[in-house]
Amino acid sequence: MDRYSFSLTTFAPNGKLLQIEHALAAVGNGSTSVGIKAANGVVIATEKKTGSSLIEVSSLEHMAMVCDSIGMVYSGMGPDFRVLVNSARKMAQKYKRIYMEDPPVRILVKELASVMQEFTQSGGVRPFGVSLLLAGVDERGPNLYQVDPSGSYFPWKATAIGKNMVNSKTFLEKRFNGDMDLEDAVHTAILTLKEGFEGQMTEHAIDVGIVNVIPSAESGKSTPTFQRLTPAEIKDYLANIL
Amino acid sequence: MGSRSASAGYDRQITIFSPEGRLFQVEYAFKAISNAGLTSVGVCGKDSAVIVTQKKVPDKLIDASTVTHIFQISPSIGCVMTGLEPDGRNQVMRARQEAAEFKYKHGYSITPDLLAKRMANINQVYTQKAFMRPLGVSMILIGWDEERGPQLYKTDPAGYFAGYRATAAGAKHQEAFNYLEKKLKADVQPCADDTLELAVATMSSVLSASFKAQDLEIAVVTKENPVFRMLTVEEIDAELSRIAEKD
Repeated sequence: MDRYSFSLTTFAPNGKLLQIEHALAAVGNGSTSVGIKAANGVVIATEKKTGSSLIEVSSLEHMAMVCDSIGMVYSGMGPDFRVLVNSARKMAQKYKRIYMEDPPVRILVKELASVMQEFTQSGGVRPFGVSLLLAGVDERGPNLYQVDPSGSYFPWKATAIGKNMVNSKTFLEKRFNGDMDLEDAVHTAILTLKEGFEGQMTEHAIDVGIVNVIPSAESGKSTPTFQRLTPAEIKDYLANIL
Repeated sequence: MGSRSASAGYDRQITIFSPEGRLFQVEYAFKAISNAGLTSVGVCGKDSAVIVTQKKVPDKLIDASTVTHIFQISPSIGCVMTGLEPDGRNQVMRARQEAAEFKYKHGYSITPDLLAKRMANINQVYTQKAFMRPLGVSMILIGWDEERGPQLYKTDPAGYFAGYRATAAGAKHQEAFNYLEKKLKADVQPCADDTLELAVATMSSVLSASFKAQDLEIAVVTKENPVFRMLTVEEIDAELSRIAEKD
């Protein structure tokens, strides 16, 4: 018997779906992640909490590339994130096979959110214990989306999820403006993480990813590309802050 | 809005969330690992990786040569299983299958990091689907990667995995971690014999015991011999004597 035929997420008398609320609590226990949409790109960043100095930090994958032009970060349960990364990557390739180009962020977000919703209603499973931040650039411009364990998704100009989301969002509200350059956005994102960071923030303690639009040398066309900043690049940003 | 939320009562019995966002079944699986009573240690050096575990034969009538917690998974990858033995055997069989299928499909041997990730992803499924409980074991993997050299990984019932310079699992894993963190300050990588020595020293320290060769199981992968191999009783004895003489 490998399938429960009934849902484990059911309505409480007050109309709430408690398992989803508990999943959000799991997200709230996770390391903070932030995202900022700039005029010419998007930045997402997260704290890499290592429980011990013995862990090989290079083996941890907190920031994931979904396809060339889309990146993803999370707050909450790492193992659940890996499952969603694999799903997202597969979805992106399926789209590409049909349309010969990367999916627009909003299309990918819809499909991913749909999967997350299924796990709040299908038999014998629990909701995912992660909130996701997806960043990408498509024909409409830069995009930043949040997806929650319930399957709800929200487009943001700038946001934070995880342990320190309330303070971080207040911080972002003060500093965000619509004409920000990607460089400034990265700077602000790192500053935001630093606000809630316990201890000394080094270039190995955070992961930063950007999606920017790089003009191609041969064709003159520009393609959006997701890339993780190297520790050296993060160190430069940190040097400017400290 | 009410701040106290009541759990449905099943959050301790199957892997659904508790009101605080915890998975009790996963936490209980971790307890099962500690309850098994054994401790294992793994250390990854510059040119070798080592795993050490206790060998406790519970009954004199048991054939000691059949008691083992160390298993080979592929020619260059092996593991030590800490926790519930039957669950450990289940996971080893699955790991062997995954490694063999990978070789068949892709034409080259699976690397330690990919195998660890695959096993961790399987563990994650047990934390999300109610039909199977999480396994009460932690797998410490060592292997030789052609491009990266010696590798050490650990997976746990939560579906978490990471690469390590040194790690431990089992009853005294916290003490072992403390000891190893002190000995391996940032980015230090032990060389040659130091790797094995550190692993054995960690075991002696946290278990407050001096070992005889029959009390330990040791397995290594080295640069000179990038195959996973268990040390014989004689080799363990020689190693312990060498360490004792050093002091």
